[in-house]
Amino acid sequence: MSPLTLIFLLPLAAALVISIIPRNYKFVIQCVALLSAFISMCAAVYVFGNYDPSSAAGAYQFVEQHPWAPNLGISYHVGVDGINLGLILMGSVVLFAATAIAWSNRTRDKQFYILLLMMGGGILGAFASLDLFFFYFFHELALVPTFIMIGMWGKGDQKNYATYQITLYLSFGALFVLIGLIGIYLQLPAGVRTFDIVELTKYFKANPMLPSAQRWIFPALLFGFGVLVSLWPFHTWAPLGYSSAPTETAMLHAGVLKKFGLYGLIRVALPLMPDAAQRWVYVLSFLCLGNILYCGLVAMRQRNLNMLVGNSSVAHMGFAFLGIASLSLIGITGTVVVMVAHGFLAALTFGLTGYLRDEAQTLEISQLGGLLSRLPFIGTVMIMAMLAGCGVPGFAGFPGEALVLFGNWDRSALVTVLAVWGALIIGGVYMLRAIRNVWHGEKEAPPLADASTLWRRTPYGLLLACLIIFGCFPRLLTDNIKLSVAPIVRAVGSDLTENAAQMRAHSQ
Amino acid sequence: MSQPIPWLILFLPLLSAALITLFLQRNPRISAAVSVGAVLVSFILSIGVFAQFHSGAPLDIHAQWLRVGRLNIEFGMHFDALCVLMLLVVTGVGSLIHIYSISYMKGDPAYSRFFACLSLFMFSMLGIVVSNNFFQMFIFWELVGVSSYLLVGFWYKKPKAADAAKKAFLTNRIGDFGFLTGIILVWSTVGTIAFVGIKEQLIKNPDAFDTVGTAIGLLIFCGAVGKSAQFPLHVWLPDAMEGPTPVSALIHAATMVAAGVYMLCRVFFIFNPMSLHVISWIGAITALLAALIAIQQDDIKRILAYSTLSQLGYMVMAVGIGEPPAAMYHLTTHAFFKALLFLGAGSVIHGMHDEQNIWKMGRLREKMPATFWTFLIGTLALAGLWPLSGFFSKDAILGAAYHNHRLTLFAIGIFVAFLTSFYMFRLVFVVFFGKAKSDAVHHAHESSVVMTGPLFILAIASAAGGFFGLEKYLQPQFSLQEAPGLEMTAVALGLGAFAIGLAVAALLYRNAETDPLPVKMVWFCKVARRLFYFDRFYEEVIALTQDALAQFAEGVDFMLKLFVRFLHGTTEFTGRALRLAQTGSLQTYTFFFAAGIAVVLYFMLLR
Repeated sequence: MSPLTLIFLLPLAAALVISIIPRNYKFVIQCVALLSAFISMCAAVYVFGNYDPSSAAGAYQFVEQHPWAPNLGISYHVGVDGINLGLILMGSVVLFAATAIAWSNRTRDKQFYILLLMMGGGILGAFASLDLFFFYFFHELALVPTFIMIGMWGKGDQKNYATYQITLYLSFGALFVLIGLIGIYLQLPAGVRTFDIVELTKYFKANPMLPSAQRWIFPALLFGFGVLVSLWPFHTWAPLGYSSAPTETAMLHAGVLKKFGLYGLIRVALPLMPDAAQRWVYVLSFLCLGNILYCGLVAMRQRNLNMLVGNSSVAHMGFAFLGIASLSLIGITGTVVVMVAHGFLAALTFGLTGYLRDEAQTLEISQLGGLLSRLPFIGTVMIMAMLAGCGVPGFAGFPGEALVLFGNWDRSALVTVLAVWGALIIGGVYMLRAIRNVWHGEKEAPPLADASTLWRRTPYGLLLACLIIFGCFPRLLTDNIKLSVAPIVRAVGSDLTENAAQMRAHSQ
Repeated sequence: MSQPIPWLILFLPLLSAALITLFLQRNPRISAAVSVGAVLVSFILSIGVFAQFHSGAPLDIHAQWLRVGRLNIEFGMHFDALCVLMLLVVTGVGSLIHIYSISYMKGDPAYSRFFACLSLFMFSMLGIVVSNNFFQMFIFWELVGVSSYLLVGFWYKKPKAADAAKKAFLTNRIGDFGFLTGIILVWSTVGTIAFVGIKEQLIKNPDAFDTVGTAIGLLIFCGAVGKSAQFPLHVWLPDAMEGPTPVSALIHAATMVAAGVYMLCRVFFIFNPMSLHVISWIGAITALLAALIAIQQDDIKRILAYSTLSQLGYMVMAVGIGEPPAAMYHLTTHAFFKALLFLGAGSVIHGMHDEQNIWKMGRLREKMPATFWTFLIGTLALAGLWPLSGFFSKDAILGAAYHNHRLTLFAIGIFVAFLTSFYMFRLVFVVFFGKAKSDAVHHAHESSVVMTGPLFILAIASAAGGFFGLEKYLQPQFSLQEAPGLEMTAVALGLGAFAIGLAVAALLYRNAETDPLPVKMVWFCKVARRLFYFDRFYEEVIALTQDALAQFAEGVDFMLKLFVRFLHGTTEFTGRALRLAQTGSLQTYTFFFAAGIAVVLYFMLLR
């Protein structure tokens, strides 16, 4: 059995086990959940450490395949290459951190753990799957618990509306994706039809898809996946959804589940439909500016810390899209780094705001202030997370965003300059204003309890450590990513940076 | 040079910062020892590097950091004359200030955090110094910004300090915006970001930058404008004085703000004549503007801050004139005497129990003799009295301007020299001479040896710094001809400016109780005290542009949300309306059924 199967099946199995444990054995439930997440994380670390970039550049490893419905072309097929390797590691670390943070009293926590593990296992399964059917199925498996969790354990007075909105938006997005995926499936002649991503890539490389088909399938996928990743202007569900969601749900969704759309674009849309991709990137690069500039500006105006963090997370997605829009090796590699980095970052930030919300009972910025002296640990980590959020080197976001910006320069210098402005200035302004208003200064308020025990600190420390490790040694990610991105970029044949370099080499 | 030494110089401070942050938060003494030890060892190792260096071939050490496609980013160190000189300045002055802080920060509840931040700063600053490529320099450029943010906002409970930290970081980020864009442009044009590589390309083909040469020059210069607080981004530096005084001495006088000048010297070869012209003028404007504002400041640290701005303007002007060695020379001597002046000011503030207004001081030369004499040496060096170090380095810049026939710049330089002498002696007379202007003076006391010791060492360095021929040491690296030597016109006018400044200050402030100038020059003083309205102007501009845009975006977002709400609102409404028809009552359904049939029949049969 491939360790990949273990990584995502274990949380799902634990969810099943918990469902038959009586609900008053709370400690047992917690232990089962935590243990499964921990083993799953260890397996992910094992896969990450044993992935061998030198063997057959960019090929899938840890592959496991069993036929499941051969007449429909569906098989159970998992494997990793450079692109999903980091995502699976990130997802499992975030799942563990979320499970550890969930270790506190709440109503109906048996159900909560079941849904949390379903969410985590589902999304890890989606990242590991190399078959479109399971790819989609596992994503839905993770998505549905999200809605239920926001509806049942959500916070704030707009909880119901937030649930309603996020459900509608994401279901619509997923529906468009489904249409697109079935469209792809039907483009194959009957008899060789398959959902296997590897087979599909191979087939469409040899027989390019008809332009007329690409013309409608690509936008369906682009906007379907786009909605899932809160592409501007389909982003309004995200800030409200995250600020109403329970902490752990926000961590998993903003950190991990959201990356599914970007992953789908890179894994499915680009390599299968290169012509349409070329045509749509210009639209996409301007929509990214909507995320980076517009949502950044909106974040500046937020009066609620969670809404600010939510908008900032939407703004960060702009960089991920921009890397895709660059269609260059450097840019798309940067996108994958941004995805991993933002996963850790978003989980960390929502984990911390969740802690703060539980302690202070509010996240209205006007009611907070001077908290650093009262919550030294949480405050310090949060300030570091916020600095990471405005692109300070030393944290994983920085190399990712830098790669995206370098990679996009030859595609459009203007867009890049505006994105640099968004990254350095707008991001800096709202993050530093938040630090100033929430943590600095002095204010009379009832005492709050800091996370003082090692156990309470572990999840935050773990996520922060991951951010720093990948920020200082980005090669841990990029050396694998670039090998797997290279064939995709070559298939699209669009790398302006490399083309320009070749032309210069010729002329000399 | 053996390989581990350069790595140790760079990473010891980082190790110290990490150790203190993770394990030593509750051990102030050990924290201080670790931090001071790290910087001292770095300093000693730097001397070792200097001793072995023999101005031989530059040494390049590097490891790969990131490589994707055509983008190859290394983590490397490039040791040449320029780098080694700067290493000595940073670690040397840094060591003294670390030692001084042991006493200055005593009793602060966050003593360990202070030393952790200082160590982090040393690491970032050394990273800039040794960088061998643009990207690595940008990384450390941002990291010094962060450490400056942490240190300016060290007393984060004070609203002013928290605001100043934010302002410093964001203003710097505006400069960094240009810097990063410039770096990407350089990379896209010549395909490399390594300094050596770019230089090689430019030697091979002087037109390698093509049409974007000026753009590259100015964008890269943006970085220096932010970090070295040049006009028009100078507004953050005076506010940054809210940080503890050792921080002002180390970061906002001696080292970090000089990083911009250092960077300009490091990549001097990329600037074309057009961008150099702009650079020289920006430097001159900053020098003049800041000196004018300094005349009317009342806070001892703010006077020194504006003085720093003004001197940085000199250095930038020197680079623009085409004499980086003169700039580095002044950078080095300035690091000595300005660190000395700030530490002296810290000693005064300490002795006066946190009073910073010079009009509440007076007669302190009796209470604090050690501070007074060292401060005086610093002032004389800054004002440019022969044979103190400032004389030689300032003359190198003025002489270069004269020699290169940049007479307007030369005139500005001389005038600024007069202003420098004037505002510095105003400070000295008001603080150390005259009558005691408040009761606090009577309770003032001299600081401990741990604080005055560094003052003496820096005083010696400020006095003697001019005799080592630093300029000649750097000359070969920039392959310039032999320096013109002392330009007699410049010397005469410079010394004249010094004397007039001293005389006017003595006349006005020898026994002054309050500032006589605002009465005599009403308009000028009003404008100067309001900092030439720059801060106000920027606030208005930001409110009119960025904040207005943000408000607009929020409005649009609201409309968007409303639209979405409308969409599913209507869907829901339709649903509810249709529900009215589904009553569940058989009679109603039968009625609708019959009515429907009737309508259909009507259309089919009767028409």
